[in-house]
Amino acid sequence: MKELRLELRLELLLGRRILDREGKPIGRIEEICAEPQGKDLRVTEYLVGERALLERLAVRQALGLVGLAGRRGGYRVRWDQLDLGDPARPRLCCEVEDLETLE
Amino acid sequence: MDLIRDVLDKQLVDRRERRMGKIDGLIVEIEAGKPPRVAAIEQGAATLARRLHPRLVRWVEAIGARLYGAAPGGPERIPWEKVKDVGIDVEVDMDVADSRLYAWQEWLRQKLIGRIPGGKP
Amino acid sequence: MKKVFEIALGIVTSIGGFLEVGSLATAVQAGAAFRFQLIWAILLGTLCLIFLVEMAGRFAAVSKHTVTDAIRERFGSNFFLVVFVGITLVDLLVLGAEIGGVSFALQLVTGVSLRWWALPVAFAVWLLLWKGTFGMIEKGASLLGLITLCLVVGAVLLHPPWREVAAGAVPSLPHGERAHYWFLVVSILGASISPYLFFFYSAGAIEDRWDESYLGTNRAVSGLGMSFGALVAVAALVVAAGSFGARGLHQIDSYDQISLLLVPVLGRWGFWLFAASLGIACFGAALEIGLEIAYRSAQGFGWNWGEDLKPAEDAGFAAVYTVALFVAALFTVVGIAPLKLTIFSMVLTAVSLPLSVVPFLLLMNDESYVGEHKNGRLSNAVVLFVVALSFLLALVSIPLEIAAG
Repeated sequence: MKELRLELRLELLLGRRILDREGKPIGRIEEICAEPQGKDLRVTEYLVGERALLERLAVRQALGLVGLAGRRGGYRVRWDQLDLGDPARPRLCCEVEDLETLE
Repeated sequence: MDLIRDVLDKQLVDRRERRMGKIDGLIVEIEAGKPPRVAAIEQGAATLARRLHPRLVRWVEAIGARLYGAAPGGPERIPWEKVKDVGIDVEVDMDVADSRLYAWQEWLRQKLIGRIPGGKP
Repeated sequence: MKKVFEIALGIVTSIGGFLEVGSLATAVQAGAAFRFQLIWAILLGTLCLIFLVEMAGRFAAVSKHTVTDAIRERFGSNFFLVVFVGITLVDLLVLGAEIGGVSFALQLVTGVSLRWWALPVAFAVWLLLWKGTFGMIEKGASLLGLITLCLVVGAVLLHPPWREVAAGAVPSLPHGERAHYWFLVVSILGASISPYLFFFYSAGAIEDRWDESYLGTNRAVSGLGMSFGALVAVAALVVAAGSFGARGLHQIDSYDQISLLLVPVLGRWGFWLFAASLGIACFGAALEIGLEIAYRSAQGFGWNWGEDLKPAEDAGFAAVYTVALFVAALFTVVGIAPLKLTIFSMVLTAVSLPLSVVPFLLLMNDESYVGEHKNGRLSNAVVLFVVALSFLLALVSIPLEIAAG
């Protein structure tokens, strides 16, 4: 049986809202981390934050310029905890409580 | 490695450190039960356009087809296996002369730059 | 010893390269309308520029990136494209104004209408970019630009009341014509803080292969060079106050009026010196802006770039400045009044400053690019203040000025 391979564009995942199992948004993809495994480079986790796009635009840093650094909320989502069957609507495969949080 | 911060939009250079455009997109392959694999680097105006808004892509491809008859077979992809180093720039084991960017600049040389005195290589 | 020479050369080229059509036109209008009252605006704009230029040099020397490169890498292609389109459009207008300036200078000298000169001027600029090297262009144009020092000579010979001139260095509120006053402030700030200046400076630092050992040189060149350059703009204002303001001519509407700037103090020589100054200063600026537009395109999209390369080696880069020069010349060819084009582009620059300066400031505070050389609070504060001021003033005063007609 031929294995199904899905092709995805990483640059479009940036800023996408992640939904939990009930369909509630938990944040946006801020960063995608990868590590070499064998001869391949494989995605290990997604960093999900409450203000993903703003993070890219360094709003936190901007606020820091004026002395107002905000709190950083968010999660570390392992590659096997995210269902990318529908790339436009990434969904968690696990419960939110199972996610590792970012300080 | 942070793919967004350290790879996407970085400068691509060939094996002799000559500039080859930027990394406009990254293709990732998902196989059931395995971590997603970074498969290829993508470059091109269509890739950039898609990041802005999906509808722009057809527009850009149509203009490209009109201008230099680029067959709409998709933008150039560089297999990730060709990446040698990820640092300030991303180095790939290729010659810039084989890249699509070079083909586009070659088109410019023929149609515009080369027609002006002093523009021939 | 080599560094001292480089500092000296850098300062001299900064003086020669400082004045261009925007700083000249706005300074003259300010001098005619408000005598010495608006000198502070030139000084404030220059102060901000000094900080920005020093930052641009520091950024290039330490991170080995140009600012444009870094904006794309750090903020992504979408944000970069927005900044790119915005700044490039403004640049095209400013370039159009500079070409208009050279064309007008030629009209003064030959009597042939400036509309006929626009394309030949654009061609001359193009030819230098096509054939020249970076060093030749940067140094040649700026050294020739030292002719603008005739304005300083004129200002001194005018024997203005120096105490009143000094008083103008302190910000003051206008007694009348408030809308016009603040509009002039906006246009002066836009003229002093042209983004192309600091983008170009960072590209130049890369072309000249600066590294961390150049940080002191960088500070000297940016500080002293821009300061002395500003003196030329202040001189233009002082001469205008004497030649126009003191004689009751408060509203300057055309370059024909401005062309008589140095006549009352330098006689017939003043006419020719003005024409030469205008032509050379604007020509130099046109070279820089043309290059800057091409740099921005090439750096943002990762093409080969470098003024020392032959056009065949960086076809995209060469194509961009070719097209840009042609398009910019069209403004004058179709007959848009050069002074209006100038003032409009300066004001638009002031409005669009946040677009280029804010990302740049964020980069200057990002350790992954500048390491330990990141900005101190003073640099951040000064630049943020002036840019915010320009933007807000522009928002307020543009509608008022339009309403006043």
